[in-house]
Amino acid sequence: MPIPIDFITGALGFLFTVLILSYLIGDNPLFKIAIYLFVGVASGYAAAIIFWQVLYPKLFLPTATIIQTGNYSNAFLLFVPWLGLGFILMKISPRFAGAARITMAFLVGAGAAVTLVGALSGTINPQVMATINFFQGAIHKPTNELIEISFSGGVILLGLVTSLAYFHFGARQKPDGSTKRFVLVDIFAWIGRIFIGITLGVIFAGVYAAALTAFIERVSSLVIFIKTLLGIP
Amino acid sequence: MRILTAIIAIAVGFLVLLGYFFPQAAPLQILLLDWAIILAGAAALVGFFNIAIVHLDKIGHRDRNAVYSAILVIGLFATFIFGIILKPQHPYMQAFALNGIIVPVEASLMGLLAVSLLYAAVRLLRRRADLMGIIFIVTAGIIFLGSATLPFGDVPFVGTLLRPWITQVWALGGARGILIGVALGTLTTGLRVLFGADRPYGGK
Repeated sequence: MPIPIDFITGALGFLFTVLILSYLIGDNPLFKIAIYLFVGVASGYAAAIIFWQVLYPKLFLPTATIIQTGNYSNAFLLFVPWLGLGFILMKISPRFAGAARITMAFLVGAGAAVTLVGALSGTINPQVMATINFFQGAIHKPTNELIEISFSGGVILLGLVTSLAYFHFGARQKPDGSTKRFVLVDIFAWIGRIFIGITLGVIFAGVYAAALTAFIERVSSLVIFIKTLLGIP
Repeated sequence: MRILTAIIAIAVGFLVLLGYFFPQAAPLQILLLDWAIILAGAAALVGFFNIAIVHLDKIGHRDRNAVYSAILVIGLFATFIFGIILKPQHPYMQAFALNGIIVPVEASLMGLLAVSLLYAAVRLLRRRADLMGIIFIVTAGIIFLGSATLPFGDVPFVGTLLRPWITQVWALGGARGILIGVALGTLTTGLRVLFGADRPYGGK
């Protein structure tokens, strides 16, 4: 009788959960086996995904089509990627590894432009606008709502400004050679520490809750697998 | 070579940037980004094989962890070869590699994080009981207490008022500051690369 695929998946999941959780008794060979195998399998899986979802449809398939049809009018569009690929592969040889810099320069240039626009339109603009919009229309609200909006908006604005001040490390050099931040920046940075402490505390609680949920889910999966194995309902 | 790489990076960067501001330049921007995606994929693939080469080297030198390196290399090549033959979406690939190994290991590691974080929090209180440390732990404690599902429901005041007030007002302000700070850093780094002041691809 063939073993059902779901059973094999469950058995593998059970085995690897036990191997990873064995770390609770200390670093051990079982944990290392699971981690090394995980890195290998995850890398191989990611490499296969890259091949099938990027390289095959965007490079290999169009090249094969051009060769098969003999229509070379758009061949120049694939010339640069093939050239770049060639330069990257030269990284394997220490003698010609420098050529890979050309491809890396291309990637860094494109990446820098995309990141720049992403930071501006994806983070700075929306975050600043959200802080401003908090106060929008507040003046027409009843007094108690106006006070609430002003206080909450004020705290958010103070948190934003002081947290930014905390990361300002510019300082002037005194005649005696020592350096000190501008007094106002120093005060703002001190208040910013409180906001950053609160923010990191909230993030910590969120991550801990997620980690605890994952731990409970894994332990529950172990129990369910053993119950299924023993036929206990 | 240094000048050539700088010219390529700056030219590509400005041409991609141009596409965001002028619709006429958008086709060129799309073409350049398409090439960048292909090259990034190829670079990632080379990176994966670099992992294999490093570990094969360790096996060759009979390193102390050579057995683990052999496990890694076997796992990498077996998954890659089967992934190429069957495709990653194939039910066997999903069952063995993804749901059998990758997902359980990732979830278990996340579970281990619960223990590590608790240990780190206790250590923080022991070693660094300053203002920042106390605010951090007290805030985390309030959030836990306010989020906990108790038999009698929410903890009065903490769950209904204090926790939302901390997360939606105080933490929001700090988080916005951190986010904008990170974005400003990213923006500056991007500009330095575009003007050739930073050359992470090699060269001074």
